[in-house]
Amino acid sequence: MKHIPHKLMIMLALAATGLTQPVFALTAADTLKQLEQSAKQTDPTFKGVSAQRGERLFKTTHGAEWSCASCHTDNPAASGKHAKTGKVIAPLAPAANAERFTRPDKVEKWFRRNCNDVLNRACTASEQGDVLAYLMTIKN
Amino acid sequence: MSNKIMVWDFPTRTFHWLLALSFVGAFITGDSERYRDIHLLLGYTMIGLIGFRLIWGIVGTRYARFNTFWFKPSAIASYVRSMFQGKPQHYVGHNPAGSVAIFLLLGLGLLSGLSGLAIYNEIGGEWLEGLHELSANAMLAVVIVHIVGVFVSSFLHRENLARAMITGTKSGGPAEGIQQRHAWLGLLLLATVVVTAYAYLYKDWAPPGLTPLSQQPVATEKRKHDD
Repeated sequence: MKHIPHKLMIMLALAATGLTQPVFALTAADTLKQLEQSAKQTDPTFKGVSAQRGERLFKTTHGAEWSCASCHTDNPAASGKHAKTGKVIAPLAPAANAERFTRPDKVEKWFRRNCNDVLNRACTASEQGDVLAYLMTIKN
Repeated sequence: MSNKIMVWDFPTRTFHWLLALSFVGAFITGDSERYRDIHLLLGYTMIGLIGFRLIWGIVGTRYARFNTFWFKPSAIASYVRSMFQGKPQHYVGHNPAGSVAIFLLLGLGLLSGLSGLAIYNEIGGEWLEGLHELSANAMLAVVIVHIVGVFVSSFLHRENLARAMITGTKSGGPAEGIQQRHAWLGLLLLATVVVTAYAYLYKDWAPPGLTPLSQQPVATEKRKHDD
C-alpha cells in the first residue's frame, strides 16, 4: 500500500463511511423528475405519475399494520405523530416544509425505511413518484 | 493447568450476554419504525449495561477489572502473531486480542447508544445520525471479528471460550481462580433490565432520557426531523 498517498487514503476512508458524500440540494420538483426518469428506465410501460394513485397509496394500508398516514396523518401539510413513540414529525408536504424531498440521500433513505414498514417491501420508483406527486398537490 | 477454576464472575457473564442480545436486537430493529419502541429500549439498555460494566471494570473481581487486561500494543501484536502461528499464548483471563474487542465494543456501544439517545431527544444536529449508523455498523464488524476470534482461539487452545462465558470456568492453576461469583449482583443486573423492559413496553413508564410511549417527547431544540 506504499504507493497510495496518505491524503488519498484518508479521503477513501472517509468516502467509505459516507461522511463526505456530496449532498446536492434539489427542489421537490427536481426529485419528482428524477423519480419519473428512473421509473421510465426500470419499467418501459410507465406512463407518468399519478397524484390520485399516490394519495391512495399514502392513505391506505397494504397488508401491514400501518399506512403512511398512520404517522404522517391524512393531512401531510400538518405535523405528524410517530405511531409508536408519539414523536412529532415535521410536515411532509413540500408546500408546508420546503426542505422535504430536496436531498436525494434522504429521499432514498426514508422511502427505503418507511416503505418496508408500510408495504413490507421496497417501493418502486413509480410508486415513490406517485406519492411525491400527491404531496405536491397539497397546498399549505 | 487442567484444573477448572472460576474466572468470570456472574455479573460479567450476565453483562456479556445481555449486551450481545441488546445489540443484535437494536441492530435488527434499527431500520424499522414499527419496532422503534424496542429499538429505543434496547439501545437504552446497552447504555445502562455498559455504564455498569465501566464501574465493574474498576471494582469487580480480578479478571473483570480493566487493569488485568490492559495490554501494550506489543503484547497484542505478539498474541495475534502467536495465534496465526497456530500456537496462541494462553491467558487465564481475557487474551490481548479479546481485550481489544472489549474496549472497542464498550466504546462503540456507548457511542451508538448515546448518539441514538441524543437523536431521540433532538439534541445535536443531523451529523449525529451519521455517527449513530457508523458506530453501529463498526460495532457489528467488531462483533463478527470477535466471534471469529473466539472460535479460532477456542479451537487452538482446545478450550471452549464461549462456554466459559456461560459457566464462568476455565482451566488454570488453583491460585488463579476468583473467590467470589457475586451471583446476587448478576441477578440484580438481569432483574433491572427485565423490569425496565416490562415497565417501558407494558406499563407506560420510561427511565430518565426516554419518554413514556403514550406521551410525546419534549423537543429540546427545534422540532425538525424526518422519520
